[in-house]
Amino acid sequence: MRFTFSLAAAALFAGAAFAADDVKKIPKYQPTGEKLRGTLDSVGSDTMNNLMTYWAEGFAKHYPDVQVQIEGKGSSTAPPALIEGVSEFGPMSRTMKNEELDEFEKRYGYKPTRLRTCLDALAVFVNKDNPIESLSLDQVDAIFSKTRNRGMNSVETWGDLGMRGDFASAKISLFGRNSASGTYGFFKSNALKKGDYKDEVKEQPGSAGVVQGVSKDRFAVGYSGIGYKTSDVRAVPLASKTGKTAYEANLENVVNEDYPLGRFLNLYVNKAPGKPMDPMIREFLKFVFSREGQEVVVKAGYLPLPSEVCLEELQKLRS
Amino acid sequence: MVNRVESGDGRRDDPPSKPESLRSTEGKSVRKGEPWVFATGGTLILMITLVFGVIVLLLLNGLGFFWPSDLQQVEQKDGTISLGIEWGEEEIPGADGGTRTQYRVGNPKEFPADFVWIDDDQVASITRPDDALLVETLTWSPRIGRFAEARRDGEVVLRSTDADWFDRYDELVEEAEEERIHGKLAPDVDEASLIGHYLLSDGQEIEIPLAAVVRTVRPNSMGTLAKAGVYVSRVWEFLAAQPRESNTAGGVFPAILGTVLMVLIMTLAVVPLGVVGALYLNEYAKQGPLVRLVRLAVSNLAGVPSIVFGMFGLAFFIHIVGSGIDSVFFADEPGAVFGTGGLLWASLTLALLTVPVVIISTEEALRATPRAQREGALALGATKWQSIRTVILPASLPGILTGVILAIARGAGEVAPLMLTGVMKLAPSPLIDGTAPYLHADRKFMHLGFHIYDLAFQSPNIEASKPIVYATALLLLVLVVALNLTAILFRNHVRRRLMGGVF
Repeated sequence: MRFTFSLAAAALFAGAAFAADDVKKIPKYQPTGEKLRGTLDSVGSDTMNNLMTYWAEGFAKHYPDVQVQIEGKGSSTAPPALIEGVSEFGPMSRTMKNEELDEFEKRYGYKPTRLRTCLDALAVFVNKDNPIESLSLDQVDAIFSKTRNRGMNSVETWGDLGMRGDFASAKISLFGRNSASGTYGFFKSNALKKGDYKDEVKEQPGSAGVVQGVSKDRFAVGYSGIGYKTSDVRAVPLASKTGKTAYEANLENVVNEDYPLGRFLNLYVNKAPGKPMDPMIREFLKFVFSREGQEVVVKAGYLPLPSEVCLEELQKLRS
Repeated sequence: MVNRVESGDGRRDDPPSKPESLRSTEGKSVRKGEPWVFATGGTLILMITLVFGVIVLLLLNGLGFFWPSDLQQVEQKDGTISLGIEWGEEEIPGADGGTRTQYRVGNPKEFPADFVWIDDDQVASITRPDDALLVETLTWSPRIGRFAEARRDGEVVLRSTDADWFDRYDELVEEAEEERIHGKLAPDVDEASLIGHYLLSDGQEIEIPLAAVVRTVRPNSMGTLAKAGVYVSRVWEFLAAQPRESNTAGGVFPAILGTVLMVLIMTLAVVPLGVVGALYLNEYAKQGPLVRLVRLAVSNLAGVPSIVFGMFGLAFFIHIVGSGIDSVFFADEPGAVFGTGGLLWASLTLALLTVPVVIISTEEALRATPRAQREGALALGATKWQSIRTVILPASLPGILTGVILAIARGAGEVAPLMLTGVMKLAPSPLIDGTAPYLHADRKFMHLGFHIYDLAFQSPNIEASKPIVYATALLLLVLVVALNLTAILFRNHVRRRLMGGVF
């Protein structure tokens, strides 16, 4: 639950009065004036693929000779690439597992540096014609999991959730991500309490694929980042437990820790402690944590960091 | 086979034991094999229909997208006004019935959603105002609204009330292009001097640096000719420009270049490999169980799933050969040069994938060389190698080229192995540039097939990118046909020359 701790800290800093203006407090990017030239590689999360692309496009404005190559096939591809040294950045929509951290440490003698780049709400999407008002995580677990570690009975039809009309007898059709995805892992450990997915979940190779599946099927439900929402689907408000208040998957609720499936999107880098970073990598990261870098986060559908957290991450680059 | 034997005078070919069963239950048409003729003909028609169905689907969805559609102003009964492009419509499921229409209202920075659904029974009126504008911008595209005024360093230089403002607006946009950073990137509002002010449908006014404007379209007051002009310029942008906005806007030029270069390098690698292999198998090797085994292995290789080739490419080319090259030649470079995916490794992997096709068709062509010609060459005193070089190879060149054509068709459409060997969502380093060695085969590349996959499953704005997926698919199809056609024309040329030589 490292996430909850850091989010609590974030919420404490940002306070309940979270304002969109907060991003204005983050200083603008100051180019170093050095002439940087070379190639940076990023291998990892596909949820962050578009985000990395937007940052790369913004970064190119200051350093046209630095080429950023982006490969996004799932968070699980990030640690091996970082360890092998074929990538400089490892975007991950989950945190690294202990085995992955150990593997890295075995090679380099220190742990990789985790930078929290922005906030995301993992949404449970239903078709826009599905009138369901809200779900609790217990119900979500009963819908998606075959082990049901939250202890409810299995939910097979929309009628099992108390819906009427033609939904009452309709079987729920499930859409999810493939197992290389950090979204898959995050949903599994946080919504299903590490339980197993039902075999009927149709695993998609990308988040947009999940949304497409749900938009074509009136009785479908699926999960992916809120950034992939379209006009054909609706994000269901979620409650952390049965009987608690359900909250919209909007980003204020994530910062205030009301929405139960909020998460940080991370960028892992290989930084030897006490040694200065390669200027190209350093400047790219400084750009990510600048006002421009945090503003484009919205374009990819995510929430900028509270300004204090942003400064905290910048501090990590110096140590 | 059945057809040929039984058509015409079927009775003569009937085996003596069978005529009774043939005569008794089935009619003459069955004996003649007519149902088979119908079945084969029907299957052919079905397949042609399917192929054309796919092409028509791609044409309709892919080409229509570039046409500037009208902007509709929809006023709902509760007073909400939206201005957008009609994108689709559907029936509302459930008992009430009715239909609803999807509009692209744009303005992703200002509005909560790029697309909205509006129930048709909520609509009070739909108009097509003449002054509605669609502004395509470098970032946060598209903006849909009306022009208010343009300012230079804070001074108003153009108002929407001015006469012929649209022409002068275009001039200003052209002038503002100089303000782009490095000639291609949009400046911020506070960095630019020429700023356009626009009114959105909900009444708010926004500012856009004119340098960020790619194209402004006024579809409702344009004639067909002007629209055709916009159409051509959009198609050109799609073919020739770099992608923008995380690949959901702009063009696919790097992907076209990547696909073509990959196929060319693959062809250069696969032809010598396949032809030499087939020559040895057919001309030099002693025909026996071992050669038969090798042939069997080659045919089986053609059936190995492409992802297995991808894994082989990753393990052998990248991890063994590439890392080896890096540790010998690029030991002081910080990152991997050849020890990571790239154009060269992807092309070689595809060459391995397609080599069975070339071997099989080359062998067939070698076998088809008339025995008289071979013996004639030998009788004239030519050594084995001389007769292969001067007689057998030229005679089988058309057959070899058929193999190359098949290999191109297979290789150009393959995506799975590329995902392991160096294809990228965004590969900003150009594959060809002005610094030696000009063609950078070690760099990662973009590919049209992967572009389709990426847009369809991972796009941040899937509704907007769907038509681009169709257009890209159409382009890939056209490209494969074009590459094939080149090879076919070359083969025909060779064939004609051969004919001329023989007679």
